[in-house]
Amino acid sequence: MECRVLSIQSHVVRGYVGNKSATFPLQVLGFEVDSVNSVQFSNHTGYAHWKGQVLTAEELNVLYEGIKLNKVNQYDYILTGYSRDTSFLEVVVDIIQELKKANPSLVYVCDPVMGDQGAMYVPENLLPVYKDKVVPLADILTPNQFEAELLTGRKIITEEDAVEVMDLLHKMGPETVVLTSTDLPSKRGDQFLVALGSKKIVKPDGTNANQKICLDIPKVDAVFVGTGDLFAAMLLAWTHHHPNDLKAACEKTVSVMHHVIKRTITYANEMAGPGKKPSPAQLELRMVQSKADIENPAIIVEAKVLQKSSH
Amino acid sequence: MECRVLSIQSHVVRGYVGNKSASFPLQVLGFEVDSINSVQFSNHTGYSHWKGQVLTADELHVLYEGIKLNNVHHYDYVLTGYTRDTSFLEMVVDIVQELKRANPNLVYVCDPVLGDHGSMYVPQNLYPVYKNKVVPVADIITPNQFEAELLTGKNISTEKDAVEVMDLLHAMGPDTVVITSSDLPSRLGDRFLVSLGSQRHVRPDGSRTTQRVRIEVPKVDAVFVGTGDLFAAMMLAWTHHYPNDLKTACEKTFSVMHHVIQRTISYAHELAGPGRRPSPPQLELRMVQSKADIEDPAIVAEATVIS
Repeated sequence: MECRVLSIQSHVVRGYVGNKSATFPLQVLGFEVDSVNSVQFSNHTGYAHWKGQVLTAEELNVLYEGIKLNKVNQYDYILTGYSRDTSFLEVVVDIIQELKKANPSLVYVCDPVMGDQGAMYVPENLLPVYKDKVVPLADILTPNQFEAELLTGRKIITEEDAVEVMDLLHKMGPETVVLTSTDLPSKRGDQFLVALGSKKIVKPDGTNANQKICLDIPKVDAVFVGTGDLFAAMLLAWTHHHPNDLKAACEKTVSVMHHVIKRTITYANEMAGPGKKPSPAQLELRMVQSKADIENPAIIVEAKVLQKSSH
Repeated sequence: MECRVLSIQSHVVRGYVGNKSASFPLQVLGFEVDSINSVQFSNHTGYSHWKGQVLTADELHVLYEGIKLNNVHHYDYVLTGYTRDTSFLEMVVDIVQELKRANPNLVYVCDPVLGDHGSMYVPQNLYPVYKNKVVPVADIITPNQFEAELLTGKNISTEKDAVEVMDLLHAMGPDTVVITSSDLPSRLGDRFLVSLGSQRHVRPDGSRTTQRVRIEVPKVDAVFVGTGDLFAAMMLAWTHHYPNDLKTACEKTFSVMHHVIQRTISYAHELAGPGRRPSPPQLELRMVQSKADIEDPAIVAEATVIS
């Protein structure tokens, strides 16, 4: 498999977020990963302390220039995640547009990181950049419920709302949309959260069709960091292997997440000791220990196909 | 296996040198790798063009401070390679010394990158820093012949010279020395180059013993970049699994190198086409494709124990 990914994300010396979270799993699955580190921090910002340096939009441009001058600016995928800087994001957009011209089949996997649980945790001025420039270029989008609501201006209370929001997101650009988590009630009870996915496909006869799925994902009682980055990377990998089967791609992706998270929480609780809450350092994803699960995830969730519709 | 490595090396967006060369193989072998990127370049400097930014000694210190403030500055290994800056190197030494105080069992694997084939390719003022400050705190060093000669002031013309040079290097600090390549003639002919290794042990009764090995490695007609970084990382891994058996550690390390290099040169020739010399991008190590060889290298190099 000759597949090259350009991933523009954070780097942390210790732990697994951003490029640290995305790179190893993709490499383990045989992808060539070119990585531009948008920042270099000692660790993620959920620890008591964090220190480091950020890459400016200009410096990003310089790195891309180097790649371009050597005529190796050919990629099959681009992957981006957490960003705090509008000018940086705008250079990312320029780069993607140029790479898409160089390879019209390029797939841009975008995690539109803006916030969660009703509040933004990036500067507000990123919303218009995502809405007007980034999302229109994206091919695969992995917003959570809050981000999906923010981008479309619509609230999600019912499954029908979620379906309509995903359709609105399709209209903005991406053919594949996965709502990575929602507050929708799961039929399996309150120990589960609901995720949904939607993919526009073109049938052999030229007509449009749409595959919509939902998954019930076991909740875990802890705050993890870097899981969204791992999710987007694994969705890239599994949609690559199952390009017309969002159900299979999502089952694999969610299953990998589950194995990594279980291993992580078990280890974290061991490290913390009985009755104590694990620290951020103890909760770092058990990434290298999960290699076998990443390579070949045992499927632990079955996605339900929602009623298909044609548009 | 709970083993944490701090690797302070270059990062390239594209390709496999420095941390890009060392991290994946170590992670594949189950090591936790914390990586400080000393530079971020588009690609290695053997391409026609390269662009990027360097980390200053101060910025390195700031990153280390972050790790320390969180009380997670506990490492089993430190790994360093190519550096161009004396103040950066001196900051690295400070960090290694502090980490050794935090964990006296820490093993510092140092590739003393200074030059090759008779000439230096880093600034000359790095040489005294390596000699006086870095090598003395190293536990495992992987110099090539030129670097070993430079550090000891002794020329290597015979295997006996090489053994003496390795003993001199032991006296400077490291208990494990591998001369990664030399011009010594190989018994297997001129298609092979000779590498040597030496490891000092202290027996339970307090007496000292030294295991020395010679490995004959097939030459490959191409210039690879990042192979030294991969070598040092794999020496770290295999001496970890075989701490008292340099013979086996070297056989595994040299075998991995062989598999990665063979896969790389085959692919490079395919891409370049018949009769054409592969370009630097085409010669990038086939790292992710070599995962199985990294995990479990078939032994293709035999180390001979020498006196």
